[in-house]
Amino acid sequence: MLSLNWHRALSLFLLIAPHALLGVLAVILYKRRLYREFPCFFVYVLYEIAKFFPLFALYSVQGVSGKEYAYAYCVTLLISIVLRFGVIDEISRNLFRESQFLRVAARRSLQCVTGLLLGAGALLAVYAPGGNSAKWYAGIFVVNRGAAMVQSGLLLALLLFSRFLGLSWRRSAFGIALGLAVLTSLDLAMFALRAAFTSEAAANFLDLLITGTYLVCVSIWIGYLLAPELEVASPTVVAHDEVETWNRELQQFLKQ
Amino acid sequence: MEQGASTISQAMISQAMIAAWILVALAFFALGILVYIAIRSRTRQVDLEKAVQAFRSLDIEAFRNLVDSGEEAFLRNNLSPKKFRAIKRQRAWAALIYAREAGRAAAALAKIGQAAQQSSDPEIAASGITVTENAFRLRLQTIGACLHLLTEVVLPDLRSPSLPRLVDQYERAAETLFRLGRFSSRVQGSVRPKSA
Repeated sequence: MLSLNWHRALSLFLLIAPHALLGVLAVILYKRRLYREFPCFFVYVLYEIAKFFPLFALYSVQGVSGKEYAYAYCVTLLISIVLRFGVIDEISRNLFRESQFLRVAARRSLQCVTGLLLGAGALLAVYAPGGNSAKWYAGIFVVNRGAAMVQSGLLLALLLFSRFLGLSWRRSAFGIALGLAVLTSLDLAMFALRAAFTSEAAANFLDLLITGTYLVCVSIWIGYLLAPELEVASPTVVAHDEVETWNRELQQFLKQ
Repeated sequence: MEQGASTISQAMISQAMIAAWILVALAFFALGILVYIAIRSRTRQVDLEKAVQAFRSLDIEAFRNLVDSGEEAFLRNNLSPKKFRAIKRQRAWAALIYAREAGRAAAALAKIGQAAQQSSDPEIAASGITVTENAFRLRLQTIGACLHLLTEVVLPDLRSPSLPRLVDQYERAAETLFRLGRFSSRVQGSVRPKSA
């Protein structure tokens, strides 16, 4: 029997709500046929839903020890990390698919960014390996902290690079990237604190923040996937005379 | 011995704490940028006029003159080293502003090109692809040019090659913009762009 106090109730809400919303998200992805465009993201969403059931069962059942739950949590977390890298790759492919030039130039730049971030993550793991906890799963938090740093750095680079170049995002791709970037940025902060503060009270508080963040990110994904594409001002709305005027000016400009 | 081990352990913990707080600061900085990008993306629009005005405002000949190595050699031979350094800095700074503005114009041009790519008219769509590709190339070249010119501002005595590729790229981009304008004046309302 679960003893319900406010902390327990909030924990339960923050555990269940994002996964219920992930179910809604999976339906949206299926109904709008977005799974064809973002298969890896669709698999990630399905995986996050699927992993919730055994984890929730382990969390709720009285006989399961904290160590057993932590083991299961860490295994599922590592698979999530791998899938997130797949989603980032998928987003970048989607973004650069219409430009031959960018497919080469931008992806090369992103590979350099990945290399730098991986180097920084490895250095961080060596020189700041977390608190003095001897628990094995503290190491997993350090791995997740490093992965979150690489992932948020990559997504930020992708968003800044596209903004800098004037690349237009499709609303769905932008939403997925934004939600994942928020998730990984906050994961970075939370798991950095989780690796440094190992007391039970701190761990409980940070766990609430991590699940709360997840709820926000799933809401971002749903919001962007449901929102209609923005109609932007078309080049053809410029009056004929006006176009001719600047055509003449540009011609003169080129002859200068 | 035990005291030494305790000191090392405490030093490691404080190191971990510093790293944790630095990462928290970095994460919130990244979050700030993300919020800014998300808000800006909601108000962003393809603005042909803005791109045209940006192109109009740039005097390509003045830029060419500012980065001309012949001009630089002339100034080097006829001015005192101190005067030359001062003039070179001013010229490099002015050229840097030109390059930055050309980059901004290229970004606006890229948006127009991408919108044109969605056109039902194959001629406009094809022109849109060319505009976009040229704009991307120009934008990336302006980064190189800005870094190059920034080096000249800091180290004016450094002998550097001219920047003909950037000028050529700019002219190609301007030409394709002109072509796009001619196509779009023929077909009203055929472009239905969609972007975030």
